[in-house]
Amino acid sequence: MMLMMAAHFTAGTRISPLKAGIRFISAIIGPDLRGGSADAPPQRASCGWIAILGLTVATALLLVVAGHGAGRRGYEMAPLLFCSGVILLVVPTSLRIAWPTTARGERLCLLFLLSEALFYCKKVYSPTSFSGYDEYLHWIATQDLITARRLFLSNPLFPIGPTYPALEILTTAIVDLTGLSLVVAGTLLLVILKGTFIGALFLFLESITGSPRISAIACLVYMGCSTFFLFDSSFSYQSLGIVLCVLTFAVEAAPNNLVGLSRLKSLGLVGLLLASLAVTHHLSAAFAAIYFGALAGLEALRRHDPLRFEARIVVSFTAILAIALPFLWMQWRGIPLAAYLGPVIGAGLNALLAKILGAASPMSEHLGAPDKALYLRLTTLTALLLLALGLATGFFRSLAMAAPSGGRSDWRPIQEIFQRRWRDSRLVLLTLLAFGLPVSVAFRLTSAGWEIGNRMATFVFIGVGLVVAVSIVHFWQGRTPRGWRRIAPALAVAVIVLGGVASAAINPIHGRYRVAADQESIEPMGIETARWVREWLGAGNRFTSDRINRLLLAAYGRQDVRVRIKTGVDAARIFEAENLGADEFWALAGSDIDFLLVDLRLTTAPPVLGSNFQPWQRHQEKPLSGAALLKFNHIQGVARIYDNGWIMIYDVRGLHGNP
Amino acid sequence: MGIPSKRDLWVAFLWAAATVAAVALSDNVFLRTLLGAPMVFLVSGHSILRAIGVRTTSVLQHLAYAVGASFAAGIAGGFALNAADYLTPLGWAAWFWAVTAAAALVAAIRRDTPDLPAWPARTRFRLWQGAAILLAMFVATGAYALAVSDEAAYREFKYTEFWLLPSISGESGRITVGIRSAETQPQNFDVEITLDGQPLAVLRSIAIAPGDTWTREVPVPALATRQTAEARLYRPGDNRLYRSVSTLVPRI
Repeated sequence: MMLMMAAHFTAGTRISPLKAGIRFISAIIGPDLRGGSADAPPQRASCGWIAILGLTVATALLLVVAGHGAGRRGYEMAPLLFCSGVILLVVPTSLRIAWPTTARGERLCLLFLLSEALFYCKKVYSPTSFSGYDEYLHWIATQDLITARRLFLSNPLFPIGPTYPALEILTTAIVDLTGLSLVVAGTLLLVILKGTFIGALFLFLESITGSPRISAIACLVYMGCSTFFLFDSSFSYQSLGIVLCVLTFAVEAAPNNLVGLSRLKSLGLVGLLLASLAVTHHLSAAFAAIYFGALAGLEALRRHDPLRFEARIVVSFTAILAIALPFLWMQWRGIPLAAYLGPVIGAGLNALLAKILGAASPMSEHLGAPDKALYLRLTTLTALLLLALGLATGFFRSLAMAAPSGGRSDWRPIQEIFQRRWRDSRLVLLTLLAFGLPVSVAFRLTSAGWEIGNRMATFVFIGVGLVVAVSIVHFWQGRTPRGWRRIAPALAVAVIVLGGVASAAINPIHGRYRVAADQESIEPMGIETARWVREWLGAGNRFTSDRINRLLLAAYGRQDVRVRIKTGVDAARIFEAENLGADEFWALAGSDIDFLLVDLRLTTAPPVLGSNFQPWQRHQEKPLSGAALLKFNHIQGVARIYDNGWIMIYDVRGLHGNP
Repeated sequence: MGIPSKRDLWVAFLWAAATVAAVALSDNVFLRTLLGAPMVFLVSGHSILRAIGVRTTSVLQHLAYAVGASFAAGIAGGFALNAADYLTPLGWAAWFWAVTAAAALVAAIRRDTPDLPAWPARTRFRLWQGAAILLAMFVATGAYALAVSDEAAYREFKYTEFWLLPSISGESGRITVGIRSAETQPQNFDVEITLDGQPLAVLRSIAIAPGDTWTREVPVPALATRQTAEARLYRPGDNRLYRSVSTLVPRI
């Protein structure tokens, strides 16, 4: 880079500072690909490196396990153990993957090793069960399917879940064929999904860039996405959805399937995958529809390609499939997707607009963000800055790769793009998709839009990975880098991956119990209470409780849990007030609820995520009062049948004259 | 150069048949996992790829596509078996066998079935490299086992569960009182039971070790009116009321 800049500055005897500045910026962000070739001559994979890194990763995993163990006990050294484990896991492996001369096979092998090791780190948070809130929802749905042997059973905790049953279907198939437990079968499925995702993403990016090196670095950058470590590794429908999505892209883009009859055959496979995606996950299906729709649009715009007519027809047909199949599924099942996603998207957009325009922000924006350790915030911020730098230096270079004259060092390739001349619409589309990162970050800065920003990242990072990888290969490293240019960009990628781990959760280390903090609130006492319920009260009783205990009662206790006492009366109303008002009393008495479970730990601290019962509740800055939760002791017809000092179960059947 | 053989189709067919046999005849989880897991993840999808005639140029590409096609077959199977009211282990085995057999037959009959991708060049492992990888697997497995045992061993909350229920055997005229300890030390308890405020039973010096469960059925008079039984758990050591529970005694 220094040589190139020196050439710019010595080219003329006198250059005005403005022109010099423009040339300087142009040299940094411009479309110069330095001759175009990205990969060193092919080499054999080094088994020595794979063996050494395998051992390093195993040591790192041991440290991560020790970190979780220390975290459970509240030891101060937990972050040190966990973080040193994650750093030992990520940094050496990332350095080797991003190293300019590493062989394709070795890069792939190490990518699989890293992605599965990151999944291992996620899994040892709770090694014998699932841990996340969404994981519990799908776990319950799968248990229901295995028990009832029927699809589309209603699920009060997750109303839209039964209409997208693909994950549950596949897990049930594994359980039934192998005899494994549900948790083991689900974990096995996730291991396969993780490997397939990385393989498919690598193939997809390799087929559109023609470079295993760019593709491998892009996969690595993708691991810096906030959803890669946790959200898309959880036993939840999006983990299957994103895999099917990227597989579809990979099949469609494969160079061996781009001409003649091969194209039609691959279209058959694309159709199968799109049909599976339509019944798997709404957002992934929507993203596939947007991707193929936009690809068809770009193909229609594109000039200068003798094969464009055939390409247009096939891409248009794929786009029609990608749009029509999810739509038909929604229509057939009567899925109220607008009602499910609409309020979330609306609130997010309002919050973002209010922030941009400086208008009075909605109530949701007055919530305090959950506390997060400083080192996690700093890692996330550093990773974000590095991503921004990568995007700035890679955007035009990525576009230039798509231009027919991509090897030139001036702005001609970009002019060609503006003249609608490009070689590959996918490359243009993914480069433009990288623009989604700033939008995603903006959403994440609002409380109401955080969810949108987080979900967007899963898809946006496919483009971000590509652009940052192009920037590293064509600007920061070049074909045969020397000195700092070998190590610094690879280290930057490692920091980006670490940023993905740091931004994945409020606290990725297992800690002590915290109130209403999803996976941080799930611990053995709550689980044992739910098991007691199943053992002593039997399955299928109608229960209501707080958000976390409802999950445990449904998953471990196999109870029929209710979010509402009856139509229009949320469970929160009967738990939060210090006295049971007449309306609440008659609602409870007139309901079919059998038991209430009360957790006195909710009185020890305010809810970490803002609500004890439902996310749409008003934000609670104070803990619940003990008097509110214990008021059922004094109500005629209510019996406290169970007490462990923290958790109580009340039998309310006496209220409806049915003890 | 690809591999022109179609022997893989026979292997897929036999694998699917062996899975049906294993599911029908065996409860051995190891055997069924060995046969069943590849059916869900790979074998059925491989046959479908061959039947459609999708050409793959590398093993990675073939594996990725085969996994995707297997998922599609599995998902379709879920809907088909649900419609047939046959979502059972044998139903699943029959479904995967049918898909694999039908796809293998189509692939075997058609003349333009593409070759399988060639295996990548064999990489030589030295002894120390193999040993290092084995050691790595051992350490990672050991770390997981450590995580499992640590999760089981550590409890943040120490507590004693106490309950009072109408008889679990369903007999009217009886109530069940129970104690389960999740404490760190063995403890002694006294239990007092009252019925509508009148003493019914007193149980003294109940010794409970950590992890133990103690239960007792206590007879109560069966009446046509509703009665409330109440049980109190005392710790004689510090002479304080530790837990209190109640239940409504079912009417006759």
